[in-house]
Amino acid sequence: MNWNCLYLAIISCLLLLNSVKAEIINKNVERYLDLSSQLVKTTIKINAEDSAGVPIKEYVFTAKEANIAYISAKDALNNDLKLRKEQSNDDQRFVLTFEKALPKQTIQIETVSVGNVKPYPEEIKQNEKQLVKYAGLLYLYSKYKTVTQKTQIKLSSSNIISYTQVKPFSVSSNKIILGPYENIKALSDEQLAIHYENQTPFLTVNSLERTIEVSHWGNIAVKESIEMIHSGAKLKGSFSRYDFQKDGRQSGQSAVKSYRTYLPASATGVYYRDMNGNISTSNMNVQRDFIDLELRPRFPLFGGWKTQYILGYNVPSYEYLFSAGKNYQLKMRLIDHVHDNMAIDKAVINVILPEGSSNIELMTPYSIKRRQNEFIYTYLDTTGRPMISFSRSNLVENHISDFTLKYTFSRVSLLQEPFLLIGFIYFIFILTIIFLRLDFSIVSYHHNKSE
Amino acid sequence: METMQRYVSPVNPAVFPHLATVLLIIGTFFTAWFFIFVVSRNKQSKESTLIKELLISLCASIFLGFGILFLLLTVGIYV
Repeated sequence: MNWNCLYLAIISCLLLLNSVKAEIINKNVERYLDLSSQLVKTTIKINAEDSAGVPIKEYVFTAKEANIAYISAKDALNNDLKLRKEQSNDDQRFVLTFEKALPKQTIQIETVSVGNVKPYPEEIKQNEKQLVKYAGLLYLYSKYKTVTQKTQIKLSSSNIISYTQVKPFSVSSNKIILGPYENIKALSDEQLAIHYENQTPFLTVNSLERTIEVSHWGNIAVKESIEMIHSGAKLKGSFSRYDFQKDGRQSGQSAVKSYRTYLPASATGVYYRDMNGNISTSNMNVQRDFIDLELRPRFPLFGGWKTQYILGYNVPSYEYLFSAGKNYQLKMRLIDHVHDNMAIDKAVINVILPEGSSNIELMTPYSIKRRQNEFIYTYLDTTGRPMISFSRSNLVENHISDFTLKYTFSRVSLLQEPFLLIGFIYFIFILTIIFLRLDFSIVSYHHNKSE
Repeated sequence: METMQRYVSPVNPAVFPHLATVLLIIGTFFTAWFFIFVVSRNKQSKESTLIKELLISLCASIFLGFGILFLLLTVGIYV
């Protein structure tokens, strides 16, 4: 008995010692920052190691960056890792769980954040270049020690006004390489600032309302109502159309004249219009596996200017709708491409199902906010079509993926619309028959007969 | 998902315009027949024509009903 106690004491002592000494360190960190657009796209490769050789089961990644729209983590074999989000005071912590606990782990983390590349100066004249400032961290913000790390930064142009210079570093045209830096303490948050020229379109979609209307007569109608703002440096002074037309290269470089939207290859009947009607300044090019739509707003978009439009198209149902007996499954994109490097503040997705659909079940690739289901009344509706509505804010291109909507629908209900029409017409005929049988004449027939 | 099949319309969308044209022509023909029949009916005769009128108008409304439905589908109102 005594011996047992002693063993226990020794073992617990050892364990305690071990847990104190054993710690995770970042052996090597490589960061790639893509600052060539309005988004900050970060790829971080971390070789983590346990100093005592204890298998690592969990790794905590701390993000100091604000407005992270998208994050994903992969292991050495390119499998997705589980991310669990923990919100602490001012930074977000993501706990990664590995499938296999190993003393050495390789992690690849991808993040996309919005609004961290800010125009500086905030207001420019029509013929000035748009300069932006990026404020970030020089080292990877981590709760673990880092042995060596290197950061590669890709900019939109070679015109760099200033940047944080901590040796060793090198610059070649639009690339900055910082590091390798050695032995960085945990939780070091030294600042990195880069001031450079960025003329890529700074477009933010303020609100996107995507309506998908399913018809069992073989069509799915998609309508996107978009409000968009140029979120780059604001235009100072007045806009001169003369300068803009005369000297397109010098004047209005940061203005957005047109941008590209990609639609599914099977899209037909595409329309692009606003409150005034059709916007004819658009081109559609049909490619092999998508439709390339060049949208040109009515006016060039300068900083702070807004535009609003509706884009719609039809797709055949066999592309996205699946059935087995009475059960149906709609598998469609939650959001679609609006423009390259897009940032959507808020998106609302409405799915309108045919009349009589029931047992509706929604599955989404990421968390969304469900709204109240409603009934929509359009052509030839009696009880209304069920509309499933949900929203999500802060979306980027990486969020383009499919949602699944399951529902049941009886095929007989398809005949409801023609029967409604038939009933209405037949009713008119019967009214005719009745009216023709009524006698409205003043002259009495009896009198005629007696003659 | 694996057991599910792609859903295709019960009627091929390519034939919507043709169906609309044909059905509407037939429907109009029945409507015309109905009105001619009703107007030229001899009011003095005793024989009842009610059943015949109802039958002709039923045919007309069936053809017109489906015709209008396919017309709506043709023009892009997917009901």
